[in-house]
Amino acid sequence: MAIAFGVAAVAGLCLLIVYALGGQTQIEGVLLMLSLGGIAVGIVVWGHELLPDHELIEEREPLASPSADEDDPTATVVREGITRRRALLGMLGAAFGGLAAALAIPVLSLGPAPGSSLFETPWKRGLRLVGPDGAPVNADDLPVEGVLTVFPEGFPGSADGQTLLIRVDPGLLELPSDRAAWAPDGYVAYSKVCTHAGCPVALYRANIHSLICPCHQSTFDVLRGAVPTFGPAVRPLPQLPIQRQADGTFVALGDFPAPIGPSFWNVHSGSNG
Amino acid sequence: MGGRDHVARDAESSIARSVTARPRGGGIRGLLAAAALVAGAAIVAFGVFGPTGVQGADPSASPGATGPGASGTVTTAAAGRSIFLQTCAACHGAQGEGGPSAPAIADAGAALTDFVLRTGRMPLADPNQPVRRGPPVLDAASIDAVVAYVSSLGAGKAIPNVTTDGTDLAAGRSLYTANCAACHGATGAGGAVGGNFVAPPLYQSDPRTVAEAVVSGPGPMPVFDLPQDQLNDLVAYVESLKSPPHPGGLAVAEVGPVAEGFLALFVGLLTLLALARWIARGQADGAGDAPLGPRADE
Amino acid sequence: MTADDRPTELERVANWFDERTGSERYARTVLRKVFPDHWTFLLGEVALFCFVILVATGTFLTFFYTPDARPTTYQGPYVPLAGTETSAAFASVMRLSFEVRAGLLMRQIHHWTALVFLASIGVHMARVFFTGAFRKPREINWAIGIGLLLFALGEGITGYSLPDDLLSGTGLRIIYSGALSIPFIGPWVASLLFGGEFPTPDLISRLFVFHVMLLPGLFIGGIGTHLLLVFVQKHTQYKVGPRRENNVVGLPFWPGQVFRSVGLFFGIAAAVALLAGLIQINPVWLYGPYLPWTVSSPSQPDWYVGWLEGLLRLGPAIEPTIFGITIPTPFLPGVVVPGILFTVLLLWPFIEARITGDHRMHNLLDWPWETPIRTATGAAGIAFLVVVMLAGANDVLGVLLSVSAEAITQVLQILIFVVPVITWLFVWRLAKGRRSRPAGTLESPAGTRLRRNAGGGFEEADRP
Repeated sequence: MAIAFGVAAVAGLCLLIVYALGGQTQIEGVLLMLSLGGIAVGIVVWGHELLPDHELIEEREPLASPSADEDDPTATVVREGITRRRALLGMLGAAFGGLAAALAIPVLSLGPAPGSSLFETPWKRGLRLVGPDGAPVNADDLPVEGVLTVFPEGFPGSADGQTLLIRVDPGLLELPSDRAAWAPDGYVAYSKVCTHAGCPVALYRANIHSLICPCHQSTFDVLRGAVPTFGPAVRPLPQLPIQRQADGTFVALGDFPAPIGPSFWNVHSGSNG
Repeated sequence: MGGRDHVARDAESSIARSVTARPRGGGIRGLLAAAALVAGAAIVAFGVFGPTGVQGADPSASPGATGPGASGTVTTAAAGRSIFLQTCAACHGAQGEGGPSAPAIADAGAALTDFVLRTGRMPLADPNQPVRRGPPVLDAASIDAVVAYVSSLGAGKAIPNVTTDGTDLAAGRSLYTANCAACHGATGAGGAVGGNFVAPPLYQSDPRTVAEAVVSGPGPMPVFDLPQDQLNDLVAYVESLKSPPHPGGLAVAEVGPVAEGFLALFVGLLTLLALARWIARGQADGAGDAPLGPRADE
Repeated sequence: MTADDRPTELERVANWFDERTGSERYARTVLRKVFPDHWTFLLGEVALFCFVILVATGTFLTFFYTPDARPTTYQGPYVPLAGTETSAAFASVMRLSFEVRAGLLMRQIHHWTALVFLASIGVHMARVFFTGAFRKPREINWAIGIGLLLFALGEGITGYSLPDDLLSGTGLRIIYSGALSIPFIGPWVASLLFGGEFPTPDLISRLFVFHVMLLPGLFIGGIGTHLLLVFVQKHTQYKVGPRRENNVVGLPFWPGQVFRSVGLFFGIAAAVALLAGLIQINPVWLYGPYLPWTVSSPSQPDWYVGWLEGLLRLGPAIEPTIFGITIPTPFLPGVVVPGILFTVLLLWPFIEARITGDHRMHNLLDWPWETPIRTATGAAGIAFLVVVMLAGANDVLGVLLSVSAEAITQVLQILIFVVPVITWLFVWRLAKGRRSRPAGTLESPAGTRLRRNAGGGFEEADRP
């Protein structure tokens, strides 16, 4: 015991010195352990060695209270004045209910009404595709089998505007026929937000043209309109219609045709497309 | 560190550690090491941990990589052709035109060819083998010769000439997070990328190897076309990930919270249970349960 | 250690207070309180002391942490982030880690203790469950315990999110999506919780309020009630020695139990200090600040949320639209299943009493093999958790085992049903076998032996 307490004391002082000298996490940790551990060992051994394990027996009293006196005047008052006033109690409940409803107002100011925000992104017809640094993306920046994260011009880093621009051999694409014009020269753009739980679908396996989400392994086929091929996601990643400009940059032809990211109950109702 | 790739190492064998680097745990090995430490080898730890002052990784610690350039001489290409015919052509065809079991590689270019040969991914003894890192099969001269021959077959990227001198680590980190961390992990420890593909840990790769992979996109990896200065910044950051500062101690978190949780449950919790077991002395089976009063001395 | 009759300093102090407050009268009831001496009864204390350590280290951290999502430029000594735009929150965590002396140690003690804290709550719950300590009269305390578990999980999730690093932001994104998936009210719930469409500038400060005020407040209130009820109802005990339904046998609080508890507290503190000093945890400087369009792989939450992550990974790709109402795919694994799990946990004392028809008082604990159905059910529950937690790490496991994460997922999608059933049957048989062994029969079948008897008369037949 004495040794343990001594170690603790010395370690504590050493800790002070280490700290004064500038500190070092590992040494601090070990010294703190010795300091605390010394006290622990000393006290436990003290308890074990010097204090006899003197066990006591304590009787348990019944938990329930003895029944109240039958003609306790207070009990009568309570019964007559409160307990039996069912209607009044009901109205009191209604009053609290009304108050609770009123209190919902501050709760509602915690966030804006969702409105159409879930159906929209910053993408608009004519906005150029820019990189994370805000500079417009040029077709030459992206080699075949390459991938870039792009944003609507003016919104670099946008959480719901984040889009993957992927370049594949145009001959390989099997997009739905109505989207044939959306992928000029094999440049195809999909929302980067997973339609399962919203993580960035950032893992692109170029040799099999497949995107996978690192969070829950939802997998999407880039060649066939980013339809899910594995994992918990159900909806394809929405495709951004893009057009290549004469100067090599790209512009969006509009917002995504479907809400990006995870589904919600009316995801299929009011579309902005 | 330039000789790293010539040291025989299995791709599965976790992470290479250079003796001068601070200790780095990775995967199971790190966990075991950590467990051993917590189990009581605190003294050893004193010796292992150097003073961990605040410092960014020092780019000067890693010698600038030297790329030989893609231009093999005619004679090298000729020598390369005969090696190619012996070791590669059976699957890839004499002109790299590909075959039933292997892709066309006429347009692979110097960067990709050099990458797969120097990291031992090629040649495969059997086309059904998984492609993974290993000791190089060919010696350095033969590799240069084959690289020269393949680059003479068609298009493809030249071996990038990168340096880690005078680079901007913060810019490199930013590029790494944007383009690499999704597969190779923020710490460079690598990870599963679905299917049987694994993004390898980056700790064995010298700057040239990293740059070759970036420009050529081996296997499932996409191709990146970065300006020279960005490529330099990027490989410098990857180089720095080999020995980042570990002010917090032994680094087991290269695979993140899974390793931390494993330790918390199997080292932390078990320690505390043992502690409780030591402190309380009553036995559940009643053995040594003296009737009352002072217990028989144990 | 020579005894003389002069009062010691300790006694003098006690007298000083007693003369002014009459404290000894109350102290005596408390100090003579009896604590059954068994290590499994210390598990709750382990959790309690972890919480104390968390409050202590957490208080230190709040002095430096800035709960602010507004962007700032990192100017600290960590070179790879020099000049990078980060949130003020992230920058303050960097400062804590690299510039505040002992800041990193405190951060790491806080994080390691949090991981161990949740684990100790888990084993404490398991002890209470498998010994039937939740039975009448302790159903309320069980329910409070479930509440405490939820608060602790909330503390863990909000704490994991505060540094605003790459991993934590990804976790929040998933939570947002889970809230969004609730039919009808999902978009509203998500917006009210997060202050708009993810990510919002209000989020970090809200998480901070939850982490350092609301949840700790709830937790302290809960734990106070929890302990008060233990005090009022007196501790349960194993049925060995002279222990009966109507007594409690053990060490007095003072001095026996106090020495054990204080020793335990310092021992825990020493263990987490060593862990935190030697093993790096959550190196946010490597993860970097959260950007909504970047992600690191593997991407996992802290272990205690691993089961939820696993459920999401195993969840079926089903998103039916019924009468125009879409049920999003994360809703079933991310909201419904956890909801069912916690409801069953919360109501278990009542469910069990309903099944067994046992509505009597219980102060003696069951041995797990005496109650095969309860034990088998608990074991099946743990088996379920193990399967889903493995699923939550399927990509890490895949690399370790050299198989694809997809294959692991597909196998676990079957095992999530099979393993709990097999575990149930196996444990049930095991318990049945143990119970029918001759030695076990001496502890006569539950229910017939001991009746609460106000007069103190009880049958002595439970002891050979």
